[in-house]
Amino acid sequence: MQAKSAPTAVPKRNTRAFVSKYKSAIIVMIGSFILAVILATKAGPSSLFNTLVTGGMWALLAVGLSLVFGVMNVANFAHGESFMVGAFIGYFVFTPISKYLKRSPNEFLSLIAPFLGIIVAALVGLVLGYLLERLLFRPLRGRGKSGWVMNTFLVTVGLSFVMINGTTLLLGPNFRGVPRYWSIPPIEMFGIRIAVERLVAFGLAMLTIFALWLFLQKSRTGRAIRAVSQDETGAQLVGINLNNIYSLTFALATATAAMAGACLLFMFQAYPTVGLKPLYFAWYVVMLVGLGNIAGAIIGGFIVALLQTATQQFFGISWEDVIPTFVMVLVLIVAPSGIFGSEVKGVQEQ
Amino acid sequence: MLKVSHLDASYGFLQILWDVTLEVGDGEFVALIGPNGAGKSTTMRTIAGLLKPSAGQIEFNGAAIGGVPAHEVTRKGISYVSESLNLFTGMSVRDNLLLGAYIVPDKRKQLETLDFVFSLFPRLAERQNQLSGTMSGGERKMLAIARGMMSNPTLMLVDEPSLGLAPHLVADVFNSLRKLQERGVTILLVEQRVNATLAITDRAYVLEHGRITLDGPSRDLKNNEHVRKAYMGI
Repeated sequence: MQAKSAPTAVPKRNTRAFVSKYKSAIIVMIGSFILAVILATKAGPSSLFNTLVTGGMWALLAVGLSLVFGVMNVANFAHGESFMVGAFIGYFVFTPISKYLKRSPNEFLSLIAPFLGIIVAALVGLVLGYLLERLLFRPLRGRGKSGWVMNTFLVTVGLSFVMINGTTLLLGPNFRGVPRYWSIPPIEMFGIRIAVERLVAFGLAMLTIFALWLFLQKSRTGRAIRAVSQDETGAQLVGINLNNIYSLTFALATATAAMAGACLLFMFQAYPTVGLKPLYFAWYVVMLVGLGNIAGAIIGGFIVALLQTATQQFFGISWEDVIPTFVMVLVLIVAPSGIFGSEVKGVQEQ
Repeated sequence: MLKVSHLDASYGFLQILWDVTLEVGDGEFVALIGPNGAGKSTTMRTIAGLLKPSAGQIEFNGAAIGGVPAHEVTRKGISYVSESLNLFTGMSVRDNLLLGAYIVPDKRKQLETLDFVFSLFPRLAERQNQLSGTMSGGERKMLAIARGMMSNPTLMLVDEPSLGLAPHLVADVFNSLRKLQERGVTILLVEQRVNATLAITDRAYVLEHGRITLDGPSRDLKNNEHVRKAYMGI
């Protein structure tokens, strides 16, 4: 009798432990679900799809922030400027091609032109991230560990100022955008009309996050990145060159942000301070779900985007920053390390 | 194989090691014993490349490795099992072990070593999918030693494997070290359990206040007046 009852008792306790561990996550998710239903009935299902698009992008940016903080212990406040660079690259690659296409139409080229812009933006992001890490963080690391988090935070804030003002100096404060990437009519799906750009942006965001996750989980280098984020000394002892991992991580994060910038060029026109808003929303996501949690970042991205869309719908667009910030403060009071808990060790523990 | 001569090392302005000279021959099992705070771990950390020596040479198979970064020292065939283990606690046992073989490019060779390690520590084979952070102290020690073996080192530096372990587990750990040595791996062992250590090692050095004060075959040191008085309480 006793032997029989034991195995059934175990899963029960596990469920209870699971519920109590993710209590705040469950509450927040149920709340968001209700909000989503209200939004869909009041404003129509198309607003839900817009939420998915922006949510996917916030998630992509948040994953980059999480990765950099987890591996390098850098709170990157220049992440938005990578987004800005990506938007500009996307614009400067796409516009000449589309001008050329007006003179001599070519169906294939017009189909892949936006992808060219996005790919070039990602590649430039990769190089930019590598250079920034080599020129800014590596020299700083040579000076020792004390005050690292504060110092690098200040460096990234400074970098953000320099990049914004440098871009203004170089290109002026003008807005540069493209109304749309493709001249394909919107697709009818589930009774709503969806712009192709949005569909592609959503698809690319999910694909990139999935590829990043696969890379981190399955590949040798990805395993090395996770190893560095968990124990730097241990990583060195098994033969991992920390400097290479730092460079790669920062380059990857910058590349994904730049890619997001190019993907969303039809929503956010390129101008020097375009990266600030995506940066703030990405930080909201990170604060909401806890650092170093990729699966959490996806859910968090959608929750934050939902809050944002709902605020626009019910309070007006000028409240867009206020309500999400207010909710974030509430969440932080109840669950200081995010609703899923943080997988990243605090600085004190390392 | 390993030749450390006139080594000085310090943390900031605080000098820990003073003129440490020691040698480990091919296939030998050598112990480094001494009281708390004598600099045993510092010696190991310096050899492993985690700490830059302020003076002196470290030579491994004829090549100077003093001041070479830790990840390159590992590539030369030295594996350091640290006192705090430095496991990747959020990863499975298997992932920890595969990371131990990070410098081995050949995947088949990695899996071969993994099989060998599992045969040496069957417990780890049973738990290969468990997160390493959720294992008991003894199992973690085993995992750290096993991870150190995954890079096929020729020299292993093992730092206080008995620390915080129940007595019967200590015997297990010591046995596994013995087995390792029989496989031809050279071992430099830091330990506080002087009696047990001198029983299984070939030679030993005594480190006190950052200086080598005694050295010789373990058998002789066991009967040394000073060692008996200071470390065995006889």
